[in-house]
Amino acid sequence: MAHKSEDLFDCILMADDRFHVEGYREGFGEGTRQGMIDGRKHGASHGAKLSMEVSFYYGFGITWKFLLQNNTDVKARKRLKVLESLLGLIQKFPHEEPQYEHLQEDMEKVRAKFRQVCSLLNVPTDFSDYVKSGGSGGISF
Amino acid sequence: NKFNAHPDSRCWYVAWNPKGTLLASCGGDRAIRIWGREGDSWECKTLLQDGHQRTVRKVAWSPCGNYLASASFDATTCIWKKKNDDFECLTVLEGHENEVKCVAWAPSGNLLATCSRDKSVWIWEVDEENENEYECVSVVNSHTQDVKHVVWHPTQELLASCSYDNNVCVYKEEDDDWECRATLEGHTSTVWGLTFDPSGQRLASCSDDCTVKIWKECQPEEGTDVAWKCVCTLSGFHGRTVYDIAWCPLTGALATACGDDGVRVFKEDETADPDQPAFSLSAHVPKAHTQDVNCIAWHPKEAGLLVSCSDNGEIAVWNYQSGV
Repeated sequence: MAHKSEDLFDCILMADDRFHVEGYREGFGEGTRQGMIDGRKHGASHGAKLSMEVSFYYGFGITWKFLLQNNTDVKARKRLKVLESLLGLIQKFPHEEPQYEHLQEDMEKVRAKFRQVCSLLNVPTDFSDYVKSGGSGGISF
Repeated sequence: NKFNAHPDSRCWYVAWNPKGTLLASCGGDRAIRIWGREGDSWECKTLLQDGHQRTVRKVAWSPCGNYLASASFDATTCIWKKKNDDFECLTVLEGHENEVKCVAWAPSGNLLATCSRDKSVWIWEVDEENENEYECVSVVNSHTQDVKHVVWHPTQELLASCSYDNNVCVYKEEDDDWECRATLEGHTSTVWGLTFDPSGQRLASCSDDCTVKIWKECQPEEGTDVAWKCVCTLSGFHGRTVYDIAWCPLTGALATACGDDGVRVFKEDETADPDQPAFSLSAHVPKAHTQDVNCIAWHPKEAGLLVSCSDNGEIAVWNYQSGV
C-alpha cells in the first residue's frame, strides 16, 4: 500500500525531471544523427576538393612527363627530374587516410612543388578552378 | 644630411653596393634610384622608372656589384645589369602569386631568394653560362602568413626568413631541395627584419612587438641538424614596431629603424657571456625622420656611416661614433 502511494506521487512530482531527461536524450540522439549526416557531407565535399586538386597535379605531371621523356637536352632532363619529384610526392600521399597527421604539411609540399614545376616549364599558373590561391589587391606593406 | 629620394611617396628601402660607392633606393613611386656621392651631397645618377607596375619594396646588389635585383608588389622580381651609369633589365622573375616582399643574393652570387605575401619563399639559381637564365630551384611553404624578409648567412649556404606569422624559419639544402630545418618562435607579433652578425653565428630579428631578439645556433636535438635559440631580447627600447635591423659587418654595432620615427644603435657588452649576450643603447636619434623609418643600412667599407629611409620619401645619412 505504502509503495503504491509513493509511486503515484513520484510520478507527478518527478514528471518535470523525467520529461527533462527524456527530452534531452531525444534531442541528443537527433543531434547526433543530424551531425553524422552533416559531417559526412562536409567530409565528402572537402575530400572531393582535395582529391580534385591532387589529381589535377598528377594529371598535369603525367602529361608533361610524357611530353618531355624523349627529349634528351639538359634542360628537359632537369625538368623531368622535378616532374618525377612531384609525381613521387603525390604517389606517397596516403589517399585513404583522412586522419594522416602530416596531411597539411604534405599538401603544402605538393603545392610548392607544383609551382616550381610550372615555373620551370614556363606555364602560367592561373588554374583558379583547381588550385587554392592567395587573394590580391588592397594595401600592402 | 637628408634628401628627398622619392617625391610624394614612401622610400621603402636603401642598399649600398658592395664597394660602397653607390646607394640604391626604391619606393612607392615604382621607381629605383641610384645615388652617388658628389662632394658633400648625394646626386641621383640613375632613375629606373619602368621596371615595375607597382611599389618596389626592396632592392639588393649582387655580391660582385654588377647586378641589382628589385622586388615589387606587382608580383615580379626584376634583375638589372649595370652598364656604366645605366642599368638594363636582364630578366623578370615571375611565379609568386602576389606581392614580392624581399629579394636577397647569396654570398656565392649563384643563388637568389625571394619571398612573398603568398606565404612562400622561392630559391632561384643563376645559370653559369647565361646570365639571363634564372631557374627556380625550390619553393618552400613553411610560413603560414605573409613572408616579410629573407636573408642569407654570410658564410654558409643557409637562408632565414621571417613573417607575419611571428616566426623565423631557417632553411638548408638537402638533395637539390631547400627545406625549413628550424622554426624560431618567440616574437609575439609580425617579424619584419633579420640580420646575421659578421661571423654568422648569431641572427638578430626585429618585430612589431617592439623588441629585438638575438638568436644563436645551438646543439640540435636528435633527428634535426639545425637548432637556434633566443639568447637575448631587447625590450623597452622601442616605442613602436621595429621595421628593420642591420648588423654592422665592420664594428658589430646593431642599428634599428623604428615606427616611432627614430633610429637607434646598440653596442654589445664585451664582458658578457657569449651564450648570454647583452646590448646597450649607444645612440638614439628620436626624430630621425618625420614618419616611420623603414630601412637602415650600414656602409660596407666606412665604419660608422649609416643610412636610413622613411615613409616621407627621405633618405638620411648618419655618422655614428661610439664614444668610449
